[in-house]
This record gives sequence, structure tokens and C-alpha cells, in this order.
Amino acid sequence: MTLELAVRWAEIILGFAIFQQSVELLRGLSWEKKLALVRAPLAILLMAGFQPLFVELVLLGTAAVLISRYRGPYNGGSDTMTLLVLLCLCLSHLAQSRYWQEIALGYLAIQLTLSYFQSGWVKVINPQWRGGEALQQVFALSAYPVSNNVRTWAQKPRLLWLMSWAVIGFELLFPLALLNQTLLFIALFIAGLFHLANACLFGLNRFFWIWLAAYPVIIWFQQRFAEIL
Amino acid sequence: MLKLLLPILFPSWRFFSSIGPSPRIDIGWLGEKNAQPLEWLPFRSLQERLTLAAGVQCLFFNPVWNERLYLNTCAEHLLECDSAFHAQQIAERLLHAVNTGELKAGAARYLVFRVRALTDEAGQVRDDVVFMSEPILLQEAGQ
Repeated sequence: MTLELAVRWAEIILGFAIFQQSVELLRGLSWEKKLALVRAPLAILLMAGFQPLFVELVLLGTAAVLISRYRGPYNGGSDTMTLLVLLCLCLSHLAQSRYWQEIALGYLAIQLTLSYFQSGWVKVINPQWRGGEALQQVFALSAYPVSNNVRTWAQKPRLLWLMSWAVIGFELLFPLALLNQTLLFIALFIAGLFHLANACLFGLNRFFWIWLAAYPVIIWFQQRFAEIL
Repeated sequence: MLKLLLPILFPSWRFFSSIGPSPRIDIGWLGEKNAQPLEWLPFRSLQERLTLAAGVQCLFFNPVWNERLYLNTCAEHLLECDSAFHAQQIAERLLHAVNTGELKAGAARYLVFRVRALTDEAGQVRDDVVFMSEPILLQEAGQ
């Protein structure tokens, strides 16, 4: 995948993710609705590829307003990733040379890799995660399970132990996928399923869409990485 | 602003690194400002089960749940310290729920909310009230 194609695909998926977030925001408070009415059309323009640099700059401005009003992200990591993808794509347009374009997009690819690896690392060093108790508590007590039926998964310790290690193993091994394109495609497919499961079990729908937006960039990055190696 | 932006530019991806106390928000209705609520009701309690169709729909449009997660974040801040900003955020959204008809105030003039912390202690769930709001006048919400 060429850098230009990766940017285009990332912008299409990012545009969709921001549109989806904006439509949800239309149900919010009055100031949120106003901002959503600005962001939704911009997201459509981003998908269409119309003046991407200008559109991304305005979207960054509106994102800054949101962060300021909420004193941080509204939807945790998904807002962080949205801003990161937006910023790196914007910087890739602003870059005066190919070298700086690659630095901007490479930073996004590294952050995407870290989003899995660091998340796996903090789990593997935690004995509660290694024993499956942490995931048991997520299902039993946390605010995330979407229904009482999903909460009952807390009573399946063997399954949760297996799920914990599946998640930890996948997250820790993710950086190895950068060594080979086929491996990366398999890893991204599994990662997509992982985000889909999080959306179904914990209602984290925004994470699903925004993580997908960074995938074209990591596919480009892997090719570039292989060339350097 | 820089303080808010830096963690986004240089993020820490420590999802579920540790499992701390989990907050729950309850609401109560008051006829008079100094009264006590007759009962506490959980705000947006969980559905029993989510159908496949509802699950697919939520993948594309899930505003109520995402607001619930935001309120949960605000409540987590209240578990750590007495934050007027986060208490205000919860109050604003509860009033919004009253205005949209999601919460039925009936004859009540005031709304109060509390935050409970659920903690797992060696398999036993400890349930503590850690924050109690001031009564919120419903007329402010246009009632």
C-alpha cells in the first residue's frame, strides 16, 4: 500500500468514525448538538476527500473544544485515538517533504502498536490478570457489561482465565506482526474481532471504528519497515 | 489546555491495568429541599439481555451507553476526590434526562444523586456511599 493510499483509506474510515460519534452527540446537551452539527458535515467532507488538510484542521479545533469542555476525553481511549489519527493525518499533509510525512504516519503506526503491546504488558505484570480474577471483576462489578446476561460471565472462571491469557498473549505478540505482511493481516483481523467483541460485550462501539481507521497506516508502515530491514 | 492535550499526543494505553472500585449512580426525588428521598433508584440500570439486532444497532449508534460511560468516568473522579466539576457534569446530564422525559420527576421539586463504590474484597462485595449531591432544583431544568 502506498503512503497516499493509506492516508486516503485512513481518512475515509476516520471520517466515518467521526460522523458516527457526531450523530451520537446529537442526542446530547445543547452545546454538544451544535458542535455535532459542525463536525458531522466535516466528517462527510473528509470521507469524500475534499480539502482534507482544511477539514482536519477544523476538526482538530472542534476536538480541542470538546476536550476543554469535558476536561479530558469523553469516551476515554477512543477519543484519544481519534485525535491521534486526526493529528497524524493532518501533519502528513502539512509536511514539506516525504521524510516528515513518513515520520508523522510512522508515529501513528507506532502508537497503534503500543496501544496493544502496552495494554498487554500492564496486564501480564498484574497477578490478578494472570489468574483471571481481574477479568472476572470486570464482568462482575465494572460499569462495562452491557446486560445482566453478560454479567453472568463472571461466574465462568475457567473461560475468563482463558480469555485473559488470549488477550494478554495477542496484545504482547502484536508487534511481531510488523515483521511480515501476512502475519500483520492475520493480527489485524484478530484485533478487529477483539474490538468487535468489546463493542458487543462492553458497548465500546467507538473503539471499534476508530482503531480500524489506523489500520491502513500500519499496513503501509509494515511495508516500509520491511524495506528498511 | 496543554495539560489536557499532552496525554492525547503521548498517550498511555494502560487499558484495565488495575481493577479499582466501581461506581454506581443512584437518584432520589425530593418534594422539599431538606427532605430525604424515600428511595434510591439506580440511574440507567442494565437490561436483562441484549438481542443480536440491538447489538448490531449499538455498533453504529449507542449514545445512551456512551453517555453512561462518561458519567461513570465522572463518578470515578468523585471516588478519588470531591470534584465540583464532575458532580456538575453528572447533575447536568441527570437534568437533561428529566427534560427529555427519560426520568419521570412526578410531583418532585428536587433531584439528588449519590455515588456508591463497589469493591471486591476477597470475594465479598463492599458497597459504600462515597458522594451525596446537594438537592438540584428541577425548575432550573425547565420543569
